[in-house]
Amino acid sequence: MKPLDLRKILQESVLEIRGDGKAGGGLVLAFQSLASLALTDPNLHVQEWPFFSSARRGANIRSYIRMSARPVRVACEVTHPSLVLLMDEGAARTADFAMGVPPGGTFVLNSTYSPEVCAKHYRLSGRVVTISGDAIGLKHLKAQIGNVSAYVAMAHAICGFKPETVIDTFLYALKKRRIPETVLQRNREALEASLTEVKEGVFEYAKPGDHALPTFAGYGNLPVGAQTALRLSQDNLTAYYARSGLRLHFADPEDKCNGCGHCITNCPEGIIQWEPHPERGLKVTGSDVTDYCKLCAECISVCPENLFSEVPFVETWQEAEVSS
Amino acid sequence: MSTEINASAPRVTTPSGDWYPEAIDLAAVKAAHIPLYTQRTEITSDGNQAAAVAGLQMWRCLIYAGFPITPSTKWAEFSAATVNGQKGTKKRVKLMEAEHAVADYMAAASAACRDLVFTTATSSVGLDHMYETIKSMGASGLGNAMLINVYRCSANYPLCIEGDPSDTLGQRDCGWIQISCRGKQQIYDTVLQMPCIGMHHDVLTPSMPGFYGIKDSHRNARLVCEPDAAIHEFQDRWIKPCPLPGLINGDTAMGNCVTSRWFQGFKVSQKRRFEKVLDVLPQVGSDFERTFGRPGVSYFELAGWPESGGADLAVVSMGPDFGTFEELREEYAKKHGLKVAGMCIRLLSPFPREAVREQLRHARAVLVVNQAHHHTRGHLTLDVADALCNLSSPPPVISTFCGMGGADVSEATWEAMLDSGRRALEGHTPPPYQIFHEGAVL
Repeated sequence: MKPLDLRKILQESVLEIRGDGKAGGGLVLAFQSLASLALTDPNLHVQEWPFFSSARRGANIRSYIRMSARPVRVACEVTHPSLVLLMDEGAARTADFAMGVPPGGTFVLNSTYSPEVCAKHYRLSGRVVTISGDAIGLKHLKAQIGNVSAYVAMAHAICGFKPETVIDTFLYALKKRRIPETVLQRNREALEASLTEVKEGVFEYAKPGDHALPTFAGYGNLPVGAQTALRLSQDNLTAYYARSGLRLHFADPEDKCNGCGHCITNCPEGIIQWEPHPERGLKVTGSDVTDYCKLCAECISVCPENLFSEVPFVETWQEAEVSS
Repeated sequence: MSTEINASAPRVTTPSGDWYPEAIDLAAVKAAHIPLYTQRTEITSDGNQAAAVAGLQMWRCLIYAGFPITPSTKWAEFSAATVNGQKGTKKRVKLMEAEHAVADYMAAASAACRDLVFTTATSSVGLDHMYETIKSMGASGLGNAMLINVYRCSANYPLCIEGDPSDTLGQRDCGWIQISCRGKQQIYDTVLQMPCIGMHHDVLTPSMPGFYGIKDSHRNARLVCEPDAAIHEFQDRWIKPCPLPGLINGDTAMGNCVTSRWFQGFKVSQKRRFEKVLDVLPQVGSDFERTFGRPGVSYFELAGWPESGGADLAVVSMGPDFGTFEELREEYAKKHGLKVAGMCIRLLSPFPREAVREQLRHARAVLVVNQAHHHTRGHLTLDVADALCNLSSPPPVISTFCGMGGADVSEATWEAMLDSGRRALEGHTPPPYQIFHEGAVL
């Protein structure tokens, strides 16, 4: 299978790009910077826009770009992108980032895994580009944020951009946001490191029917306030709103819980577990983080004994299996 | 501002009340303006930024009042960041405690300094909160007030949905000039032109340029910014000090209208000034095009009309989704052997019914695409049907809805709507209206 030539698509028709990530993860900045990078070519026309509403941090969001050598008039969402980005593997738990990509399309993933492992796991057919963006972010920006590297990997996938222009365009976007000079320098280091960390390969792991666009079959009889097929999430588990890479942790080895119950009354999802206690009234025993903890951190802030905390959590791919 | 106020300015008594034409030294205000651009410059911008840049480039615009509300927040953020970065500027961004306070502030400031422009941006429930005051302003003669409406539907307070123009079409009788924009360049260009229309001595009516939330407010593209000096020269050709409209001041100012006869006179004056928009707007648009080389404001945009004017199927719509129709129009027309043409409405209020009628007169069928909530066939449908009603044999009007709640209007949806129009051409009687999504009829 021959991968699609993205530069050729750009010149001859419209290159459509889609990205999946989580609110607060830097997806929008990565896409805005890629749009600005394309606009450094005076012959290109670009549209870039995010798809989100009043989304809280951690909610799934999408971003789109159309690039072309002719004016871009189409305004609808991108459904058959030739290039897709998975910015946050947590987003793949509820959205198929590869949906609608034609055979030979390019898949960019912010992942620690190799292109082949990703291609096999997500059942991708085409060119797979990976970069360990979170690790690069942690090293240079002191934060597990992969948008710098994801932007570089997308620019690499499209080809034809000079490395110094790739770096300068991103830094210019940060300057517009009044980012301090020291942070700009760290971003420059992350950008330079990303340029050498991109890995890629061409694979054919998709099976017939994989990543097909769903057919809209109407809403049926909607009850008042019904969730609809327009939602990105296929269910309503609020745990999917939690930031990737972290999970709530409760520990009370010294039996310090005083039974104040603030965590219970402040938890918006009712996930705090407790049992009656003869002296304190109650005793907190843990929290059920399986489905509904969105890491709002209310319990962390109200506990007088500091028994709650956020701890690193590695995404497990068992939750991200693609259904055909 | 205090240095520009002349406390001993002479008073001029007019039938509408007292006027202090020299109270503010406009020359000093203009001289204090710090330009954003001294030459034509290309930038990357989204819709909010495009609207903000245009406002910041006007020397008459000194105060930007606002309250953050998605999706218009970035207008205030960008304005604040820019003003903050301009050392020595006289411009100020004023964040208020709520939208109704912004509207009250705008009303008072606009009335106090009628030669300056006061602008804000809001959306959905923000516009709802301003409703009482903006209704009053609509009749006040304060053409120097400009409210940038970033379209968003209040589905169920506080749940709001982007990209649905229900807010603006629900307010179309508030007495403001409402004009719809699509694309960054059109947003920027329109904001520059609206004070020229609103402050025109025949019009004196506040203006409400608007664009779709998220679909345009957050969509980045290339934007050409003109030099501030050229903008000032253009605006100064149109904006001149002028007396207040009659019946505005004294007993009738913003309140006590004394008798119903006086009140009716007040409203008649408002209505006549409002109708003058239809004369002034094309003149301003033409001057803008001559000056900057891009299309100026207009009643509507046209796509694919045959020289004879007689399209088989004429599509009337508004907003950025019209671009998707433009993209597929030619292929669809060729496939079905039809002449398919489009009209993207820009001037929502006052609705240009005469011009719409002339354009649609020879169409065999008219397909109207609505996106805002309406209790029957849609705001645009009713306006178009009204425009056509005087014709001896008006074309049938097919009413459709799509993109409600900000939903995507895909190519499949456009094709399904066009198919509906095509069936009407074949003699099928369409239902009063149909709702489309993803190519399906709901």
